[in-house]
Amino acid sequence: MKLLRAWLFVMPVLVLSAARGSSHHAFSPVYDEKRTIMVVGVVTQFRFVNPHAMMFMDVTDPSGKVVKWAVEFAGRLNLSNVGWTADSIKSGERVTVTGNPSRTGSQRLFFRKLVRADGTELLPGDAQRLNSVEEERRQRALQRNQQR
Amino acid sequence: MNVRYILLVLIQLTWIPATAGAQTSRPNLEGMWSDPPSTAVGTFCFFACTDAGIERLNALLDDPANDARPFRELQAEAKKVEGDYIRARLSAAALKTYPLDPAEDPGFLRCEPWGLARQMLAPHQIEIRQRGADRIELRYGEWDARRTIYIDGRNRPANQSRSLLGYSVGRWDGEALVVETSDIAENIAFAPDLSLMQHSNQLRVIERYTRSKDGKTLLLTATMEDPQTFREPVVIKKIWLWAPQQKIAPYKDCRRPTEFSRGVKPQ
Repeated sequence: MKLLRAWLFVMPVLVLSAARGSSHHAFSPVYDEKRTIMVVGVVTQFRFVNPHAMMFMDVTDPSGKVVKWAVEFAGRLNLSNVGWTADSIKSGERVTVTGNPSRTGSQRLFFRKLVRADGTELLPGDAQRLNSVEEERRQRALQRNQQR
Repeated sequence: MNVRYILLVLIQLTWIPATAGAQTSRPNLEGMWSDPPSTAVGTFCFFACTDAGIERLNALLDDPANDARPFRELQAEAKKVEGDYIRARLSAAALKTYPLDPAEDPGFLRCEPWGLARQMLAPHQIEIRQRGADRIELRYGEWDARRTIYIDGRNRPANQSRSLLGYSVGRWDGEALVVETSDIAENIAFAPDLSLMQHSNQLRVIERYTRSKDGKTLLLTATMEDPQTFREPVVIKKIWLWAPQQKIAPYKDCRRPTEFSRGVKPQ
């Protein structure tokens, strides 16, 4: 029982988000980009739709009560660009989700990272984009240094 | 020799090469385009950008003092230049409401599709298709919006009613497709730093689409004129990457927000 409760919890995470999410659909009135939390639970539904994909999960709080959480993603348009499909997340999966909490304190967050039980990760498209940009910057700095 | 025959030959000799030349210089923009290249400038222009912003971004990237700073930080600094660019061009009346509270956006509050000033800068796919000799259709992944661009030289009809996406006529100017749109209903525009600004029903937009020499990217330069909103024309740019494998997915699950806060400044 103690073990069961150990993986079902909600906690703040000291990770600053790398990118703004879906601001064209008014991100800031709903989510607090300055804070990030982690939620562990079991997926009950993943909806791969536009404008925003949604995931619903059951999270057991420390008292043993099951609480419904909603996770909002970027749109299907955005996720499919980096290889996501409707089967990327399956109902019944145990997952750990990191994201920005809602401003109202409700059981809702905006997706930043998902880790499956086997340790594999799902990341938003902008994370991959940022990796490419940082590599471009390294090459740019290298060329600059070689020209000196 | 028949004089009429000679004249006909002369006309053909001068006309045919001119026509052929015009057609060969016209690039094929048709097909599916999507998110910009994963480069620094492409990412900076994901939604929209300006020449001033790109210049600032490149200056920051070229400065060794910034090598250890995250890209997002440099991007935010360059976007401030774009914020200044917009503010300097807004009329006194427009400055009173700028920037709009994102929580007041009808697209967010009531799932109302965007007007032209935002739709033309929508992220993700834009599909360009010629439909017969007289029109080109633009279809967007965002909102699954569709626009018709009339390219047969027609004039805007008299008493054309105003609409979200306005009335568009197009023409080829060398290698560019130039689209002029008027009769746009009052709505909201994107500033290149993603802040929102109100525009009036006097908005007129001139879009210029060109394809890069290597064929891989599509560039939009959009000039917005609105005497009630702008003191002078505002020029905004955007980039898409050639993406023939992509398809536009259904866009029918917009939900009205059930919880949000007003007056939150975008971060």
